[in-house]
Amino acid sequence: MSSNFGKIALEEAEKKGASYADIRISEILNENLTVKNGNPETVSLSQEKGFGVRVIVNGAWGFAGSVDMNKEEIQKTVERAVSIAEASALLKKKEAVLAREKPRKDKYVTSFKKDPFKVSLGQKLDVLIQAGRILKEQSQLIKASYAHYHGFRENKLFMSTEGAEINQQITWCGGGLSAIAVKGGEMQTRSYPSAFRGDFSTSGYEFFESLALVDHAKEIGQELLKLFEAEKCPSGEMNLILHGDQLALQIHESCGHPTELDRALGTEADYAGTSFLTPEKLKSFRYGSEKVNIVADATVSRGLGTFGYDDEGAQAKKVYLIKEGIFAGYQSSRETAAELNLKESSGGMRADSPLALPIIRMTNINLLPGNWKVEEIVEDTKDGILVTTNRSWSIDDRRINFQFGTEIGWRIKNGSRDNMIKNPTYMGVTPQFWGSCDAVSKDDWKMWGTPNCGKGVPGQVMYVGHGCGTARFCKVRVGLMK
Amino acid sequence: MVTERLREIAEKTVQYAKKQKVDQAQASAFLVDSSLTRFANSQIHQNVAEKSGGISVKVILNKRISTIRVGTLEEEEIKKAVAEAVKIAKASSPNKEFKSLPEPEKWSPIKGAFDEETANCEPKYRAEKVREAIETAHSRSPDVKAVAGYFSTGSMAYAVANLLGVSAWADMSVAYMKTTVISKSGTSEGFGTAEKYSRRIKDIKPSLLAEDAAEKSVKSINPVKLNPGEYEVVLSPLAVATLLMFTGFGFSATAYQDGQSFVKYNLNQQVFDSKLTVKDDARDSKTLYAVPVDGEGVPKKVLELIDKGFVSEKSICYNSFTAGKENKKSTGHAVLPIGDYYGERPMPSNGIVKAGDATLEEAIAETKHGIFITTVHYVNPVEPIKVILTGLTRDGTFLIENGEISKPILNMRFTDSMLSAFKNIPMIGKQVEMVRSTTVPMMKLKKLRFVGISAY
Repeated sequence: MSSNFGKIALEEAEKKGASYADIRISEILNENLTVKNGNPETVSLSQEKGFGVRVIVNGAWGFAGSVDMNKEEIQKTVERAVSIAEASALLKKKEAVLAREKPRKDKYVTSFKKDPFKVSLGQKLDVLIQAGRILKEQSQLIKASYAHYHGFRENKLFMSTEGAEINQQITWCGGGLSAIAVKGGEMQTRSYPSAFRGDFSTSGYEFFESLALVDHAKEIGQELLKLFEAEKCPSGEMNLILHGDQLALQIHESCGHPTELDRALGTEADYAGTSFLTPEKLKSFRYGSEKVNIVADATVSRGLGTFGYDDEGAQAKKVYLIKEGIFAGYQSSRETAAELNLKESSGGMRADSPLALPIIRMTNINLLPGNWKVEEIVEDTKDGILVTTNRSWSIDDRRINFQFGTEIGWRIKNGSRDNMIKNPTYMGVTPQFWGSCDAVSKDDWKMWGTPNCGKGVPGQVMYVGHGCGTARFCKVRVGLMK
Repeated sequence: MVTERLREIAEKTVQYAKKQKVDQAQASAFLVDSSLTRFANSQIHQNVAEKSGGISVKVILNKRISTIRVGTLEEEEIKKAVAEAVKIAKASSPNKEFKSLPEPEKWSPIKGAFDEETANCEPKYRAEKVREAIETAHSRSPDVKAVAGYFSTGSMAYAVANLLGVSAWADMSVAYMKTTVISKSGTSEGFGTAEKYSRRIKDIKPSLLAEDAAEKSVKSINPVKLNPGEYEVVLSPLAVATLLMFTGFGFSATAYQDGQSFVKYNLNQQVFDSKLTVKDDARDSKTLYAVPVDGEGVPKKVLELIDKGFVSEKSICYNSFTAGKENKKSTGHAVLPIGDYYGERPMPSNGIVKAGDATLEEAIAETKHGIFITTVHYVNPVEPIKVILTGLTRDGTFLIENGEISKPILNMRFTDSMLSAFKNIPMIGKQVEMVRSTTVPMMKLKKLRFVGISAY
């Protein structure tokens, strides 16, 4: 990454009247492998490089990006960003003001033992083909088996007119299995270790190896077949125990998104929506029970949303969003932090490409461990269901009313796991749901990686993490299918 | 011409691959130039421009397939990409289901797909139009508190070549605007939205969108609660488009072959109301994404997705890979090269619903007790074979009583099978609207099942 290239852009922006400018120069590698029914269906490597320039001119923002990395294009792109800012200023109601951030010069690299981009393709495909074939061979009812691998690397340089110069390398990888079976017009699906292509971590290839896809393929296939004989999900109000991979998505949708300050301030009103967690509720609103402690933590080891600095140079940090059930903080940017007179940004500005404008994104949104062991939660439950692995999801534009479906569940009766249930679904209202959380585990807490969080216009897809274990919620409405 | 440059690059690229003795090769070069002005709280808060380009190279060696995608059109980088693609293919395993990339077919460009004015729109023009929308919305009522939305203009072009002789290209322009209006009276808020899509910027009328959104927004203040249950619904084109788009997943050959498509279990049966006819036709002047060829350079065929309520094998969209599995020819529905690298499943992208003979006013007048839905939010499939979807109403939901819109209601969650919802369609609108990948009219459905209520 050439800092000279960055300097030219920043000098050009200042010459053209920018009171602030920054540039991200980045190169992204994505290696995607999908094996379907034991055949390699996608063997793909994508390489993207380019730069994006943000400027404030006349108190308003402009942004432009390009893939052509030459001096002439830098000048054109800066010029484009400046003219866009000038146009933005025509409808300006207030000046763009940034919360203070110490301009840092630093280098940051996520750690790994085995570089995923140095492991041979053949080695990766061997695992996927073997696992996919074992899964498919479990029954002719299995119409499709999928085995996935995804490796990601971004090398990026951030520079600003305030003097920041930060080089980062982010590497993550992971994968998973899934299969679809059909019997008599009924379809069931099962995934491992999680839905959405598996689990992912800012780690090296050792993380993918630790998933041991081949070892789990048979078990997942067998579980999938058992779903056809499973009981229907009961219908009514009852105790609901969410296993970590479903709880991760619950946190994502009902805590991660509503604590994004851009949503709370109305700037996503046209698309993703706003938030019921409006600024006057900060530090006083009871979001959940006292058992609920949720943080945004970009520093946690191996989280998919772990980094050194966000895309406006703010250092990674841990911020409480919910503390003992009270709404305690937002995920913010420098501009939104200033708007709320917060001391600093939470460090949540991220872009999915050098050509995309950074927006507030989740980092790792983690439900901190409680005092229970998973076994104790089950033993303490007289009547309820335990569910795992997301199958469907939907939540309203203020993040209040949600409905989720999972791949599989089990009835809990008198403190023990009873029969398997199929097509589990549940719905709720966010503060009531989290208010009913009466047990959070400590012994199965881990980081889950969600590589597909969509937000923004134009749409961006970001990789984020969620740390959690298992948790119980009381009097939840379950069994919504006819 | 951009397409000539892309064509030259794509054709050269497959020749580089030929020199490396591959069995087959395909190259898809693309350029995207798009700009977007976004506003909220009645001011511009995000204003961006993106100029990107690249090439996707696919090579096949003994049925070993690899794809490399690079975000550049520089010759030396492309040569490196070809070499890397060959290296990866050699290291890969054969895909026994692969038959062949497509053979060349006759095709012709689509007139009117590209509009210079739309492709080259300046940020100042968009800012002025955004101002017009904001001022119009505020002028409608003092209760209007904030206007949000976006206005996007731009173009894209691509060219595809393969070693079997395919050489085809497309270019098109797109403009779209969305306006969302938030109103407030006392402690109650109201919401309204309107959207417009076109190949030509001159068709985007910000003040009309703002008036529509503001009217709905102001009228939706102080919503009342309606109990969940089954109701007659009148859906605006925005709501119809989203529900049909999700239903459209079932027309993909991938879903069909994997047993996930409702079509597979209902071949030659009348699944929907006999008034529902939907074709997929990229050359129809009423569709937005007017491209003559797909991402493999195959001419886009016209498909009858739904014919008077019936679905059949003719409803299925194929690319060359899925077609090869059934010894068929591609229908020209491979994803475009600018698409997401995650998915290669063929999909309809030019669905056009045959217009009916009703107006919105007539649909409302014919409804004794029902719900008017402006748009739906966060819709996702719960079960694909029965096409069970869940989602919420948004930005203007109203109760219809005795043929009139009587009051606003709190947003409601629906969870229902689209096979059931579109089975009985008493009325279909006579006017169709472009909404992203579909072109649809308003519809009245006899019943839609609601399972919950939101707080606003």
